[in-house]
Amino acid sequence: MDEIVAEFIRRTILKIPVAEIGKILRIWNFLSESQLKTINLQQCKENVSQDVVELCKKKRASMKEAAILDIIYHQTCQIKKIWIVYKMTKAPGEEVDLSDMEEFKASFKKVLQRALKNVHISFRDSEDDAVWIRIAWGTPYMKPNQYKTTYVVYHSQTPFVFISHCQIKKYIPELWQALMTAGNYHKIRQMELRSLYLDSLKAIVFKQYNQDFQTYYLTPLEEENSEAEIVDPRIIHENMKEKERIQRVTRETFGDYVQPRIEFAQYKLETKFKTDCKNGILAEREEPFRCLVKFSSPHLLEALKSLAPAGIADAPLSPLLTCIPHKAMNYFTIREK
Amino acid sequence: MDSSNVPEFTPKHGVPPRLRDYFTGASPFQRQLASVRKQTPFGQTPSRRKIPQCSPLQENIDPQKIAFLLHKQWTLYTLTPMYGFSYTNLKQYSTLLKCFLAAEKQKGLAVEMGEDFNFKVTFSTLSGIKGTHRDPAAFLVQIVSKSQLSSKNTEDKVVWTGWFCSVHGDSLLENVPDDFTCLPLFLANGAESNTALIGTWFQKTFDCRFTRLTISAFSLSWMAAMWTSCNLEHYGTATELLWSVPCSPQSLDISYAINPEDAKALWDSVHQTPEEITQEEVDLFIDCLCSHFHRHFRINLSATRLVCVSTSVASAHTDGKIKILCSKYLIGVLAFLTELAIFQIE
Repeated sequence: MDEIVAEFIRRTILKIPVAEIGKILRIWNFLSESQLKTINLQQCKENVSQDVVELCKKKRASMKEAAILDIIYHQTCQIKKIWIVYKMTKAPGEEVDLSDMEEFKASFKKVLQRALKNVHISFRDSEDDAVWIRIAWGTPYMKPNQYKTTYVVYHSQTPFVFISHCQIKKYIPELWQALMTAGNYHKIRQMELRSLYLDSLKAIVFKQYNQDFQTYYLTPLEEENSEAEIVDPRIIHENMKEKERIQRVTRETFGDYVQPRIEFAQYKLETKFKTDCKNGILAEREEPFRCLVKFSSPHLLEALKSLAPAGIADAPLSPLLTCIPHKAMNYFTIREK
Repeated sequence: MDSSNVPEFTPKHGVPPRLRDYFTGASPFQRQLASVRKQTPFGQTPSRRKIPQCSPLQENIDPQKIAFLLHKQWTLYTLTPMYGFSYTNLKQYSTLLKCFLAAEKQKGLAVEMGEDFNFKVTFSTLSGIKGTHRDPAAFLVQIVSKSQLSSKNTEDKVVWTGWFCSVHGDSLLENVPDDFTCLPLFLANGAESNTALIGTWFQKTFDCRFTRLTISAFSLSWMAAMWTSCNLEHYGTATELLWSVPCSPQSLDISYAINPEDAKALWDSVHQTPEEITQEEVDLFIDCLCSHFHRHFRINLSATRLVCVSTSVASAHTDGKIKILCSKYLIGVLAFLTELAIFQIE
């Protein structure tokens, strides 16, 4: 087994959290069960990875198998990479393509390898009818760099592609061409939607977020409290009507389900400056008041949902914010109508 | 203010200084000043301030000498007056501080110095960093790590920097007895552990006290207005305000960055009084920004917390961190910070 492959496997194992190593090796299914049993997972990670490399050497693992290990690592562990969503469109009049996933993979590989020398492509299917494509880029004079890889996730029969780019950006046109040819599409464009969480992007784009059955009812705990506290029925919550209206409007806008998880939204504002007060500030100015607003949060949509009930925002919240899942965008440019 | 003409007890300042006030500190030496802050009517912050201008003294500063003060993040502290500090003893202080740090390191305390014991401490004055001639001179302390290879070509690496200054502080402070030196603003850059150790040495040696300077949202909004009002030839960075929203269970940060020319245009439209900035103008400026935001997002920024302001002149964070980007307004920024420091000193 080549030293490069050995080093790559060693480094990949080092990246995997200890708790997941056993699971990932089993999914990989390259080493037999008896071989896996010989690995002591309690020792330090450097030794674990050395043991795995030794076993792989005995079985003569090649880069092909090592690449699959890398894909499984990316599929299983939450890797901090930004995923960007692209949408492909068919030429007008073209029919829905009925080609299957195997034809897609074969065609993609052929087109990309014809365009670029020294590119290493691996495929792995995932449970939700998608294929993960791992591409390691090289140059006409250098072998593919296995540490600079681009991942592409494609669901068959859908026009959406999720791409996690690496630093090498110059082969993007060839990548797009391969995707379009293999999928039988005419154009590809980048959507204004990106996030660290691939699952949330899928939920937004495939409109699956509102099928979650976790609903928020008025919890029994709240009712108990209200019974215990109210001694005199003449004492009421002063703004009860307004609070109920806000709760109702928020529920109508956001739904009862858990929101898909995105961590930021960015708005480029190019509207004119206007205020309610009659000071005439900047009244004669024709040029737009240029701003860039960025919202960030570990779970942005849940945070926005809590603003109106907390009194920080008006209800209903601005459609610029509530449209994020529906429009499948989190980068916006707002101009005067 | 010319001290020879003005009588000591001016009606404007109410409380006359009493000798016994100077000796009621809790320190064992009983030298700490109880209060140096001039008593303003009702203890309020001023409702109008001069627009930051280039200080005449700053013209004498060699821009190269103060370049290292710019583009660096400084953590801010307030400092009570130092007893027994003398500018003629700077070399002694270097030696004493170095011995202190070496001793602490030997005790096993975490001291970030680079190579063991191969460091030197320098005390030097910073000329020109003052508002008027009455402000005491600013001085700088640096810890420099010497390379172990001890070849003359390798550069010494500055590991920690701290400087003390007072810009226009004189007008806000009571007449301070001669044995005290008042440099209420302290800025540090480097490892927190070093700052703590060096602070301890100063506190023991000069019977003073450091406290972290926090910048309230109120002061940050003044900074936003003052720095947007500065005239610059070239606006490098956007005027950015960062708001932190207290919502649960997830935190939310809103960054609102305005094109610097548009921000200046808005300010010019709000600003009426020549040469001065008033509280009303600051409030109106911030209100305009908030209402433009509300028009689009229907979120009330005034219900959230302003935590950071960033402009082409400087950027400041509520935790007491500052980064000065423009040498032209260095003195103006320091003057405002000195004022905040003095108001925070008890």
